[in-house]
Amino acid sequence: MTGFSIGISGLSAAQKALEVIGNNIANAATEGYHRQRIELSPAYFSQVGSVLVGGGVEVEGITRIIDNLLEREILHQGSLLEEVSQELTTLRSVESAFGELSTEGGGLNAALDRFFNALQDLSLHPGEAIWQNQVISAAEVLANQFRMLGDFLTRLESQIRLEAENAIEQVNTLVNQIATLNGEIERLEISGGQASNLRDKRDQYITELSGFIGVETVAREYGVVDVSAAGIGVVVGSSAMELEVGLDAGGNLGITVAGASSYITSVEGGSLGGLLSLKNELVCDIHEELDDLALAVIQKINQYHVQGVGSEGSFTELTGWTMASEDLSDFDPPITDGKIYIRVINTSTGEITRHAIDIDAASDTLTTVAAKIDALTGVAALVNSSTNQLSITVEDADYKFDFLPAVLPEPEPTPKTLTGTPPPGIAVSGIYTGTTNSTFTCTVTGVSGQIGVTDGLKLEISKDGTLIKELNVGLGYAAGDKLDLGDGLYISLSIASGETAGDLNVGDNFQIKGWADTDTSGVLAAVGLNTFFFGSSASDISVCSDIVASPGRLATALGGGMTDNANALRLCGLRDEALSSLDSLTPGEFYRRLVTNLGQEVSVKQMRQESIMAVVQSLSDQRSEISSVDINDEAANLLVFEQMFQAMAKYISTVQTSISTIMEML
Amino acid sequence: MSGTLNNIYNSVSYALYQQAKALAGLQEQVSTGSRINRVSDDPSATYQVLGLNTQDRSLGNYIDNVSEVASSLEISSMIIEGMISYFVEATSRLTQVTGGIYDDEARKRTAEEINQMLEQMVLLANTKNMNQYLFGGGSSGTAPYVVERTDGEITRVIYQGSQDDRNIEISPGMQSSIFYVGDDIFRSDNSGSAVFIGDTGAKAGTGTSNVKGDVWLTVIHDGSNYKISIDDGASYVTVPVGGDSNQAVTNSVTGEVLYVDTTEISGTGVELVRVPGTYDIFSALIGIRDILANKRELSSVQVEELLSNSFGSLDEIHNLLVQQSVSVGSKIGFLDDLKENLKGLKYNVEDETTRLEEADIAQLAIDISRREILYQMSLSVAAKLMSLSLLDFIE
Repeated sequence: MTGFSIGISGLSAAQKALEVIGNNIANAATEGYHRQRIELSPAYFSQVGSVLVGGGVEVEGITRIIDNLLEREILHQGSLLEEVSQELTTLRSVESAFGELSTEGGGLNAALDRFFNALQDLSLHPGEAIWQNQVISAAEVLANQFRMLGDFLTRLESQIRLEAENAIEQVNTLVNQIATLNGEIERLEISGGQASNLRDKRDQYITELSGFIGVETVAREYGVVDVSAAGIGVVVGSSAMELEVGLDAGGNLGITVAGASSYITSVEGGSLGGLLSLKNELVCDIHEELDDLALAVIQKINQYHVQGVGSEGSFTELTGWTMASEDLSDFDPPITDGKIYIRVINTSTGEITRHAIDIDAASDTLTTVAAKIDALTGVAALVNSSTNQLSITVEDADYKFDFLPAVLPEPEPTPKTLTGTPPPGIAVSGIYTGTTNSTFTCTVTGVSGQIGVTDGLKLEISKDGTLIKELNVGLGYAAGDKLDLGDGLYISLSIASGETAGDLNVGDNFQIKGWADTDTSGVLAAVGLNTFFFGSSASDISVCSDIVASPGRLATALGGGMTDNANALRLCGLRDEALSSLDSLTPGEFYRRLVTNLGQEVSVKQMRQESIMAVVQSLSDQRSEISSVDINDEAANLLVFEQMFQAMAKYISTVQTSISTIMEML
Repeated sequence: MSGTLNNIYNSVSYALYQQAKALAGLQEQVSTGSRINRVSDDPSATYQVLGLNTQDRSLGNYIDNVSEVASSLEISSMIIEGMISYFVEATSRLTQVTGGIYDDEARKRTAEEINQMLEQMVLLANTKNMNQYLFGGGSSGTAPYVVERTDGEITRVIYQGSQDDRNIEISPGMQSSIFYVGDDIFRSDNSGSAVFIGDTGAKAGTGTSNVKGDVWLTVIHDGSNYKISIDDGASYVTVPVGGDSNQAVTNSVTGEVLYVDTTEISGTGVELVRVPGTYDIFSALIGIRDILANKRELSSVQVEELLSNSFGSLDEIHNLLVQQSVSVGSKIGFLDDLKENLKGLKYNVEDETTRLEEADIAQLAIDISRREILYQMSLSVAAKLMSLSLLDFIE
């Protein structure tokens, strides 16, 4: 009866092979499916005399055609592709938001240009409302552009976190499914079964998981695969460990094992890797640089603006911003030890007095600063205890105040030694063009005598202790003529009213102060007194409401006449000023570097994506060659096993006929 | 084994994706005419383009500023030319008067004409352009000159504008004044020694006087001492016996001081003291008008002598104005040149921007055709490969 056994084994093997072929063809388009192959071997044999007789065919098993090394590399590259794609998509949206070259208006670069150009236009017409309004409009456009970008980046960062939370939910679903399948595969294969389809399903989940996060896999016996992501063993056998997303102490987005607090903020691969990299580095850096730029523009413009006055002239009232703290030491940007120089003008007498308010950054509070100002004649100051707003007002209608660096019309009251009888009148004029506060000391040398009369009567001028020039004020000098001190300042000596001479003695001296900065502490700009911009970042920058309501408050002048354009020129000059807070670049250069770096990042990511796509494509081709179902191949096999089946059937029939013939003989 | 169904599908899909992407990029370039439509298209070129755009806008602004300064200076130049013509006219009138053609009445009519010229001169000096005064320096919002009048006639013109220029930036790092300081351009600043025209015996002292233009020195005698005044008798200085070689006499109104050598004063009366090199356009006309009107009732001889001496002040101012006119003219010329240079620079900047940004349309057309063919080939090959199957041959 061996013939029947051989026949049946052949029929059975052919039938099994046809089933495998059918399964292959049915899954030809199934993602992640690996072609299966039936493994046949000759069955046991019997020995008849000296002849070995075969026992038919035996099905040893069904195997998946898979190259594990290749699969692992595909998993890795696919994960990287997801990461880069996530980064690229997001960075492209940032690039679009910046809108350089792609928008009609030209983005922030053009807004910066228009603002500074408007300031330049204003320098031609500092007192005219139309040009003041043009500057305010350009500043509002600039502020809007900053806010639009700042808000966009803030929303984007929130969106990234939400996307990361969604991704981690899917990661957790997948690790649970993988763990479950591991269990089923193990049970099936321990009992001697074949779990090829389950393995394919499990591997497909691992592939999907790698799209979210880079994974490492370790194969164990009975088809079990352990999976780790970002160094965390998320699947061990049939056990799964869930992850969660959160912010670490530094505000960086990270992942951690659910319930733990040690966040991993840098993850390689997958969309989560991309999202973390975007949140913690790429978008974060862009946002920080944009904020740095906005803050530099706000601080520098305000630093210049607080010292000037507009066409409305000096002030009768100024109120600062709402402050979070009353202590100067809490201010950001920090206050430094220094002085505020406030000019108090008695409008009825024309007397102008400049007072220095000492600022101790460590110990002063808004209240102590207000008290120091309040102690001055003509002005009063107070702090709103609920809002911490510093206000300065005049005591009565005869007074005004400002922080102009304008030179006082007369020399400093002290130290001054004029021993002539009568001494000459001394008038100071001009706008100081130096870059630091300086003291010009004028000392009479040569011979004592009358101005304009005595030959050899001279003034020696020293700046901050260094002799810079000698001026003739004796014979040959017409009283009242201007003498150039340098740095834009002039003095003139005249015969005092009612006198017929102005006498100076050798050694007489007086001082003139040239002011480049009347707030060396930075308090005025920090508390918002006479500032132009409000805010401290790209998200909250705006033009101060006082300026918008009264364009005449736009501080264009620095001179005592308040009709000059020196401050407008200084504000406009910021366009070409390299700022230390901007890596020694001008605002325009810093922005162009920022936006170009963004473009460079997009470009690099794009190239990387294309490169990885090519690698993935190549690897996929290799996998297709090894593991994919080729219909033609399967069709050929189909013919082979069909014929095998037919032949075996015929063989059984022949065996049957042989036995019948023998039976008939009996 | 190769050429599986998945393999073919993946390859075709990838190829089509690449071709479609390339085609989309090329079509975008064709439709915008620009090869850089976003920063990432060419970051380094974009950095240059953004910088060039900034430079272009800045140059545009500079060109506008230069135009405005030039326009302002052209009007200033016209005004100075107008003033020159008034001084030519005044010199002509003075020549006629000193030539003996005119009698006292005619001199007074000439004085009225000079007075009209003075009024015109003040109006010209207070000219506004685009709502800004041209000769007020940094203070362009208020009239730079105010007048003091007696009986309706201008007796003094005071400059109240700024002593500082209104400087504006006209090119990177270069500033120019748009409005002149009237006190600088309408007044001589080359003070000489005072010249005493009269017969009182007074002479210039050794000190450096600061009086400007014409000053009337009044010498009286109170019975014991001579007294001298330069403010028409509002205040007097008593000359000590024997005089003083450097007697300071102060104008109680203006505070100006004249140093007089009084050692040789021998008579009383009024005499004119001229300080060459200190006239302004108004004081020169006021002095001549007053001499012509002879309100101080000088003798005919004195008037003629003073009028003859008045050519000096007219010439001084005429020369001053001509100098200023030439100076303004050369500045306008410089600004015109600068404007052309800036325009040239702007053109170059625009040209460079276009060079960096502009797409090569011919090259794009070729590239698109090539990509289209490749795209069609990919489709065609895929269709053929995927249509071949052994299944077709299995019965």
